[in-house]
Amino acid sequence: MAERQSIELHINEETHVVSPDTGNTLLQVLRSTLSLTGTKRGCNQGVCGACTVLRNGVPARSCLTLAVECDDEEITTIEGLAPNGKASIVQQAFVKVGAPQCGFCMPGMVLVATALLREHSNPDQAEIREALSGNLCRCTGYVKIAEAIELAAEQLV
Amino acid sequence: MQYYRPSTLEQALALLAEDPDARCIAGGATLVAMMNADLVQPSALVSLKGISELQGIRATSDGLTIGAMTRHEVVSKEVRLTGRLEVVRMAAGNIGHPPIRSVGTIGGSISHADPAADYPTALVAAEAQIEIMSQNGRRLVPVHEFFISYYTTALEPGEMVTAIHLAAPPSGSVSAYCKVGRTEGDFATVSVAFSGAFVDGQCTAASVAIGGCGEAPIRSPEANALLIGAFVDSDCVAQAAEALVNACDPLDDVRGSADYRRLLVRRLLPRVFSQASQNAA
Repeated sequence: MAERQSIELHINEETHVVSPDTGNTLLQVLRSTLSLTGTKRGCNQGVCGACTVLRNGVPARSCLTLAVECDDEEITTIEGLAPNGKASIVQQAFVKVGAPQCGFCMPGMVLVATALLREHSNPDQAEIREALSGNLCRCTGYVKIAEAIELAAEQLV
Repeated sequence: MQYYRPSTLEQALALLAEDPDARCIAGGATLVAMMNADLVQPSALVSLKGISELQGIRATSDGLTIGAMTRHEVVSKEVRLTGRLEVVRMAAGNIGHPPIRSVGTIGGSISHADPAADYPTALVAAEAQIEIMSQNGRRLVPVHEFFISYYTTALEPGEMVTAIHLAAPPSGSVSAYCKVGRTEGDFATVSVAFSGAFVDGQCTAASVAIGGCGEAPIRSPEANALLIGAFVDSDCVAQAAEALVNACDPLDDVRGSADYRRLLVRRLLPRVFSQASQNAA
């Protein structure tokens, strides 16, 4: 088996053929190969959540995911939530309540919120906080972010 | 680095036999983090994601078997982990955060053997057996012999963890897991796992393990002996805690000083008993 192998990645409902090294993370391939730079590199060790993507709809760390492991999965990045340049309801809610400050953690936060609201249409504060618990924000106190998710939940009903 | 994705255990074991520097990749939660930090450089990766026999939890004639590829999230919601096995379910729910629990696996976690991780301590209290396979066959290792030192297990070259066996919990058995970390989702500064049984308030079985206080989960036969047969009151718990503190060999590190960890052992032991009685109720 060759070291570099051509694989298909299904990202935001598009198929990309890429040839990553075995050790390349999904994060590296997204940002460097495919120029999908909405996914952020923070700690690169799975702690901060900035690199969160959805793997088959489930939030996961793209820095802890090898690209070669993803050929049979559907990957959603932050770019996939606004396919025609129109912000999703969750994104609009984040803007409306003023949740972002520097914005670096936002792609991860929005993806986690999107996955949460697909599972629970009306999450309570505890469920929101649990869902956000793996995503660090160093600007805010998370209050506006949690508010944004509540607002999005109301608007998605 | 080569990448292989076998679809059967036999194929995976053959690949490991061929190349002793190959590593299995399960969820990636620990191995990829180590690779990103340049702490490990495997010659090849053997992906386990295509091997269905490593997935899931099955009842056996004498208990439960958790496949090595079972995700933390699945274990954290497993209703058959009751009585003296509830500690394993609680530990799984304490690992990291939801996006970690949805990818991390029990086989990956224990093979990594971080003594501050949640599973090792809980599995030692629950007296699990680790199923290990190589091309030469299958062996079972008692979990406290599996964890040898920091990031060091009883796995030999060519071997991999395939499952965790847990004996069926006797009725009336109880267990609990308590952890103090710097923040929610962190590795333990100290964790305490208890698995045992009470009959009319008298302790009839006890197995305590401490995490984060040495090179592997700490056990103290002396502490267990102090508890068994006793009506566990605060004096008895304090004596058992001293026996455990004496068995611990904690380090000063970023999560806390060695003295602070000894203090936490004394504080967490009463808490784990009160959690166990809540779990039983």
